[in-house]
Amino acid sequence: MATLNETIAALDRLPALPATSLQLISMLAGGGRDADLREVERIVSRDEAVTASVLRRANSAAYGMRGRVAGIGDAVRRLGTRELCRIALETQTSGMLANAGRSYGLRRGALSQSALGGAIAADALARDHGVNREIAFVAALLRDIGKLAIDAVAGPDALERIAAAADNRPFLAYEREAFGADHAELGAILCERWSLPREIVQAVRGHHEPPADAAEPLTDVVHAADCVARWAGLGLGCDGLMYPFDAGARERLGVNRDDLEALVASVIAATVPEEAPGFLPVRRSA
Amino acid sequence: MSRSPSIPFQPESLRTAERDKVVVGVADLAVVKDASKSIITYALGSCIGVTLYDPVAKVAGMLHFMLPESAVSAEKAAANPAMFGDSGVPLLFDKVIAAGARRERLIVCAAGGAEVLADDGHFRIGSRNRTILRKVFWKHSILLASEDTGGQHSRTMTIRLADGQISIRSQGKETILWPR
Repeated sequence: MATLNETIAALDRLPALPATSLQLISMLAGGGRDADLREVERIVSRDEAVTASVLRRANSAAYGMRGRVAGIGDAVRRLGTRELCRIALETQTSGMLANAGRSYGLRRGALSQSALGGAIAADALARDHGVNREIAFVAALLRDIGKLAIDAVAGPDALERIAAAADNRPFLAYEREAFGADHAELGAILCERWSLPREIVQAVRGHHEPPADAAEPLTDVVHAADCVARWAGLGLGCDGLMYPFDAGARERLGVNRDDLEALVASVIAATVPEEAPGFLPVRRSA
Repeated sequence: MSRSPSIPFQPESLRTAERDKVVVGVADLAVVKDASKSIITYALGSCIGVTLYDPVAKVAGMLHFMLPESAVSAEKAAANPAMFGDSGVPLLFDKVIAAGARRERLIVCAAGGAEVLADDGHFRIGSRNRTILRKVFWKHSILLASEDTGGQHSRTMTIRLADGQISIRSQGKETILWPR
């Protein structure tokens, strides 16, 4: 248990979003589609981990490219601005989130995978609802960043005990009782501190409880994407499925069960990690 | 809901070492014939974990399916039948039998199928997963030995090949699903 002041104070101890991501997000928010490829290359090549991811991805079979890419410049030209930004953002947020969610009982890497799964779903929903796809991707990628703050203030087993005693209220309500704020609000505060665009801050804040009067459907999109990721079994800790699908968002987006189930199927196909180490005698051989 | 009384949770050092565990991912299945191993699947939410165990042949199989019906995406079902209940469950049976299990000896258990909070009937993925499971079992005259399904929480399911014991870990507690 912690007071709101203690929880807010914990935000100061959290790492900041890396500079590469901040620069790319501000570029995307300013209409990144036409961004200068050389500018992206310059931003991306300053970070070693990001450069390595970009090269790995450019050389991966998924892109079906002929011949190995020679260097970052070659990779940048082959992948294009949009893909490059995504790989960079995905790499950096996944680094931040790799160990996050411990207090929810999540295993290492589970929250990174869930961030990516939600981002892929948000991209698809954004495309269908006329929302800026890059912004939707980033907002969904960062939606659970506030769980880092909960990890910092929650004692061992605190959330498991809360979940075990839960009585059919949304999990955010219990977080607010225990820590003065929920992970959505804390995530929004972090995004504000990093000076991220206002629409991203709002989408992170509303990703479980989308406001009915939002000017554009970005928050609804990120909310639906979060539910899709959850149905795909991603990021499920002791909070499980204790988050409702907002009826207003469902109506505003006009999504039905078949649309979302098809999306659940594509999300899991896109986020299954590389083959787990070991043996696995019979796997997907059918 | 059918669960045995809670047993105290064992510290990490007392549990099977990670290398003896075959991990089944989401929309995935594994069949194992090695009495020194366990099969585990993490974080079943609305998804359902199904285990089959032949105590004589010491063969076990586990499926972690995500959605009820393959009709929602024929292409995805063809690429990965383990994603759906109606295609994954028959596949699991085929594979354990191919690995030496006898159908009449199989002990069948299931866990998961939780529902999103306050689902007002629009999606009901967890309960539709439970329904498809019942339909497939009914069609093939299969009886469920034990199950732990429904609610809103996530579950981790493990089956131990040595004796077929199935444990469920949820919200910090471990319970034995089978033997009952």
